Amino acid sequence: MRIIPTEILVIGGGATGSGVARDLAMRGFQTVLVERGDLSEGTTGRYHGLLHSGGRYAVKDPLAAQECIQENRILRRIMPGCIEDTGGFFVQTPGDDPLYAEKFAAACQQSGIPCEDVSLKQMLREEPRLNPAITRCFRVPDGAADSFLAADLNAASARAYGATVLKYHPVLRLLTETTAGEDRRRVCGALCHDRIHDEEVEIHADLVINAAGAWAGQIAGSAGIAVQMIPGKGTMVAVNHRIVHTVINRLKMPGDGDILVPAHTVAVIGTTDVKVPDADNYAIEPWEVQLMLEEGEKLIPGFKKLRFLRAWAGVRPLYQEARWADQPAQNRDVTRAFVLLDHETRDGVAGLLTITGGKWTTYRKMAEVTVDKVCEKLNSPRPCRTHLEALPSAAPAQGGTGHAHSDAHSGMRTHSDGHAHSLGQRLAEIEREHAYGQLICECELATRRQVADAIRSGDVHTLDDIRRDVRLGMGPCQSGFCALRAAGLMAALAPADYLPAENGKMLRDFLQERWKGLTPILWGQQLRQERLNELMYLDVLNVDHLGEKAERRAAASQAADERPGDKPQSPASRRGTPAGETTLVIGGGLSGLSAAWQAARHGQSVTLISKGWGANHWGAGCVDLLGYAQGDLVQAPRQALQALIQAEPRHPYALAGLETIEQALHSLQTLCQESNYPLHGSLAQNWLLPTAAGALRPTCLAPETMIAGDCRQDGRMLIVGFEPFLDFWPQWIAGNLQQQGLEAEGVLLDMPGLRARKLVNGLILAGLFDQADFRRQVAAALQSVEHRRRLAGAQRIGFPAVLGLRHALEAKQHLESLLGAPVFEIPGLPPSIPGLRLHHILIEAVRKSGGQVFEGMLVTDKQARPAEGSNGPALEFVLSEAAARPKAHRAGRFILATGGILGGGYSAEADGSLHESALGLPLAAPQREAWLQARFLAAEGHAVFRAGLAVNAHFQPVNADGQVFYENLYAAGGAIGGFDPLRERSLEGAALATGYAVGAL
Amino acid sequence: MEFLDQPVELSLDLCLKCNICTTVCPVMAVTEAFPGPKYAGPQAGRFRGGEQLTPDASVDYCSGCRACNMACPAGVKIAEMNARARGALVEQGKVAPLKRLRNNLVARAATLGQVAQPVAPLANLAMGLKPARWAADVFLGIHHEAPFPPFSRESFTGWLRQHQAERRKAAPGAPGVGSVVYFHGCSTEYYEPRVGKAAVRVLERLGYEVIVPRQNCCGLPLLSNGEFPAARQYHENNVRSLLPYARQGIPIVGTSTSCTLTLKEEAPELLDMHDEATRLVAESTYDFNEFILASGRLTEEVLSQEIALRLPYHIPCQYRAHRIGKPGLEALSLVKGLSVVDGGHTCCGIAGTYGYKTEKYAIAQAVGAALFDWVTGFGAPLAVCDSETCRWQITHATGIPAIHPVELLSAAMGYAPEGALRDVLQLK
Repeated sequence: MRIIPTEILVIGGGATGSGVARDLAMRGFQTVLVERGDLSEGTTGRYHGLLHSGGRYAVKDPLAAQECIQENRILRRIMPGCIEDTGGFFVQTPGDDPLYAEKFAAACQQSGIPCEDVSLKQMLREEPRLNPAITRCFRVPDGAADSFLAADLNAASARAYGATVLKYHPVLRLLTETTAGEDRRRVCGALCHDRIHDEEVEIHADLVINAAGAWAGQIAGSAGIAVQMIPGKGTMVAVNHRIVHTVINRLKMPGDGDILVPAHTVAVIGTTDVKVPDADNYAIEPWEVQLMLEEGEKLIPGFKKLRFLRAWAGVRPLYQEARWADQPAQNRDVTRAFVLLDHETRDGVAGLLTITGGKWTTYRKMAEVTVDKVCEKLNSPRPCRTHLEALPSAAPAQGGTGHAHSDAHSGMRTHSDGHAHSLGQRLAEIEREHAYGQLICECELATRRQVADAIRSGDVHTLDDIRRDVRLGMGPCQSGFCALRAAGLMAALAPADYLPAENGKMLRDFLQERWKGLTPILWGQQLRQERLNELMYLDVLNVDHLGEKAERRAAASQAADERPGDKPQSPASRRGTPAGETTLVIGGGLSGLSAAWQAARHGQSVTLISKGWGANHWGAGCVDLLGYAQGDLVQAPRQALQALIQAEPRHPYALAGLETIEQALHSLQTLCQESNYPLHGSLAQNWLLPTAAGALRPTCLAPETMIAGDCRQDGRMLIVGFEPFLDFWPQWIAGNLQQQGLEAEGVLLDMPGLRARKLVNGLILAGLFDQADFRRQVAAALQSVEHRRRLAGAQRIGFPAVLGLRHALEAKQHLESLLGAPVFEIPGLPPSIPGLRLHHILIEAVRKSGGQVFEGMLVTDKQARPAEGSNGPALEFVLSEAAARPKAHRAGRFILATGGILGGGYSAEADGSLHESALGLPLAAPQREAWLQARFLAAEGHAVFRAGLAVNAHFQPVNADGQVFYENLYAAGGAIGGFDPLRERSLEGAALATGYAVGAL
Repeated sequence: MEFLDQPVELSLDLCLKCNICTTVCPVMAVTEAFPGPKYAGPQAGRFRGGEQLTPDASVDYCSGCRACNMACPAGVKIAEMNARARGALVEQGKVAPLKRLRNNLVARAATLGQVAQPVAPLANLAMGLKPARWAADVFLGIHHEAPFPPFSRESFTGWLRQHQAERRKAAPGAPGVGSVVYFHGCSTEYYEPRVGKAAVRVLERLGYEVIVPRQNCCGLPLLSNGEFPAARQYHENNVRSLLPYARQGIPIVGTSTSCTLTLKEEAPELLDMHDEATRLVAESTYDFNEFILASGRLTEEVLSQEIALRLPYHIPCQYRAHRIGKPGLEALSLVKGLSVVDGGHTCCGIAGTYGYKTEKYAIAQAVGAALFDWVTGFGAPLAVCDSETCRWQITHATGIPAIHPVELLSAAMGYAPEGALRDVLQLK
């Protein structure tokens, strides 16, 4: 156990705690701050980011209002980099009490809050999306604040003045002593748990400041002191982009959902105020989200239809000195002013002050009052200077937080730059530095330099810590693309105590943390986004099984490649569609392309139309047939398929039948063979191939460029990445492979030719690998003195899956001859180069067979012929969206291959309904509450993604009674419901088999 | 689908970050000056607004070809977002004055044509002078090799007046199947009247009375240079002039695929013109081939002449962006003996005025390189393409003359071909 003596101990690393620590340190007190997690991980990092003018409290709580406006002015001065001067509007929407306006103006004047009456015309000029029915508008000096940065800078300033800041040091209990001769107890420190080194630390102090916010009651309680906090949960919802640039308040008594704050790239609507018994344990209720949407609609027509990024809640540390029973029934009635409790006078226990209540805006004042009290207690009057001295901004690093400095080499500044907190600043910086090729988080424009600085600070222990520093994963894709990159970068920078074993967990924890904030608002496009994230992390990267040692060895077998022998060559024709029949395929993913290709091969006149391209561009570029059954790794697909077909007679595989599945695989293999891009494998066994996360993915057919990576075989691997390609981190991959019992080593090649480029992505690398010259350069770099030893030790060499777009096989063979060892590709983040190769091969095949392919065509409507005699209803034509007027597509046969939620085949709405996008076919939806699992990577999958069309044995969509909707309509691929291709790892297999079946019908 | 009526800026919310657009962007594939459609469009879009409307001038390297829009599975209007961002650059004075002058020069084909056509030989001589071209390159930023076509000595409308007078004399009041407004565009008027002549002949042969009302430049070159107020003026004029016909249900047909796309969609969308008149004109506008195919009158009977040629065809980006398939190819497939092959290339690189500019000329050539190689390798005496600037680009890069499909249709109807097609057919 360590013992740290100090004068003052501050508990809590939120706004208040870090502010108190700074004030103490500036006044020369020896100070230690402990925080149970990361700075601002509690309420500070979970509020909407409003710098109050005080207007909100002017009528109801004048004391709070005056505090706000005074501090508002001071904060603008001392932390300009944390504040964006957005200004604020108070607007009266229809239905709001019209009498409030005059009260408001008068109250603002009384509290000294500048308040300007704004004409509605002017209001709409500045904020054109606001409701034109608004009847009154006042302007006040509200602003938007970056509370993460502010806490960081306060802590950095405190450190600069000699304070110690200890993150991940939860307080287990306060330490007390009873002075001999006196009967009075005093608090003399705290026992903490150092979570990083997993040891207990005793901090001894003359005085302890309890700034634990909503958790202040627990801290005080550990010394037997009753502080009854009223944790007030406030829920907020972030809109995908910044729909307003001014803070918008409702001109009425403060209520729920009446503030809209532009914060960084988003706009946040908040909040609710719900008493919760436990500040650590609360849920976001659907009614809260619904309410935010309804209230938002009053401010901005169309608000409900916007894309929402995330919902979260913070817990206000409300406090009123009264017994629980006597407290106001409504949290809104609890004062927003702050309180300082001197437990010596209040409870007879010396050595402890509790500072709580208040607002983020008044944190500095709270700190000042607290430290004044400290001076009084210690009888050492020292004046406060926190209102006079600006916080450090863009100051050089002093072994501090790692985000409070700029990097002299690149000129790229981390987010503490004086003007960082304004929209456009990051974009401007990246433009200036041509740094668009260095983005770890593309949505929030967090660069590699920024993330690396955060990691190098040594103060980062989780990916979520990086998020709070640089906004990693806070944009639309909610960590989809950045989580892998950040995890890999962390491994590459390898701090001394870095443990690769932790890495898979770290990645999964981050994905889960993001998921938690997503579930309350998952519908529409954000749900689609999540499905893409699932595709990346489950289907391509296999992160859910990362670290499992599975029965890998047991599966080891020599004959992985059962060459397709005398399989049936002609597909079974079940219906005998006449040659010359016109077939319209809707959808350009693997299922649509296979269907079109088969139909064209059978002499049908085929047109394929598609809104855009699909999952070929995202997947691994293999044919996953069945990788997991009931969560267990499938080694022999044939047996597993038979079992599946038995168990689930409605599964697309059961409808297609084993024979068709085999024919479909075989025909694709033949096509790829003819295209000089052989796919290897068979139903006998699954390959087990490494992914860009270092996990092992089971797949049935893999291109020749990948199979040397088979992890059922032994053979020391050298994993090769390229500077500055951010999607592939060889050390991390190798580390994770080692952890799963494979021999692997990673090397990051730094080639001057690539270094000189502004952007190195998979497409650019693939273009380079198509050139023999570049391949020679790569080989030479690997044979250099620096890497020669590693190369010599390798029995096979893995590259990111970018070995050429047009000449992949040639590239692979050339590299093998240059390097003298088998070479393989490892799939990673989209766009998938191997997938693109398959896409091109299939498009070419459709065209060569006489079919036509058109992209950019979205089917929006249809015309059907009603039932006639013994004939059921049939589709006559469908309409696709086009410039000026829709375009009609007539056909005899229609194949719907529009995919599931990810493909856009159907959409899920906030009200819990599902819609089939192209033809408006009715869909059965699972109960809204049952859509999603609590865990992102849950093995059972999320029910909403199993929804889809029911089809009969001929793949014709049918209604609940089993009757076909249209006689001439068929479905293929993800449009068919009842299975989860990502959980099963059957994405390509199901698309191929069903596409083949309907195309060849 | 809901996203159809999403305004341009809101469509950024549809982006899944999936990178499909980056796999088709022809500009990103050849230069690092453009950070790519995902970055410049929906990604940067979240950072624009507030104090700094468009801090990223690199968005100007988007050529506006719309390959991204077409490939996007989510419906993000990327090219339009980029066009608007460019408009904001211009509005905020972030485009250097000289560059803006240059942009206005290359974007005002109509003004240029009005001045130059009366003195066409002189103008062509000046345009051909190397020192003059170098001076324009150095001082204005118009690349000295930029593929400007020669001005035609005769204007299309000049020919039309004469033609219509003769026609009235020959067959006064001949009954037809209806009227059609022909939107000829600047290129037909000043550079390639042969395209307009062929179009008029084909339409008349199909039984339509051709009306050519007063018309402006469609405004697309201005739109794609971010000069929105000027483009609005052009479009308002066109709407005013075309509206009476649209109200009578008379279709407006154009041979320039970019002009028709502008009337149909680009101008109303980019300029936020959603009034009834603009909408009506848009809905009455047809691409030439789209119209004649839909008329049902383009029969093999009418196309009586055999044309024994095998020609390479390139569909312009702006034609694909109509989202109506490949009507040009479809119409030509009806011509006896003619085989027209689509190479499936994304873009020729010129993108209207993009490839004329000094800083973008090399990019435009690189974008089109695969197409040029294919056209050259095809070994035919002609290439076929529906858009004028693409034709000029192809000819500039390959030395092979490029013609509009309507020229072949007109020849197949037995009318005397002009220009390169005449030379080729005479040789045969």
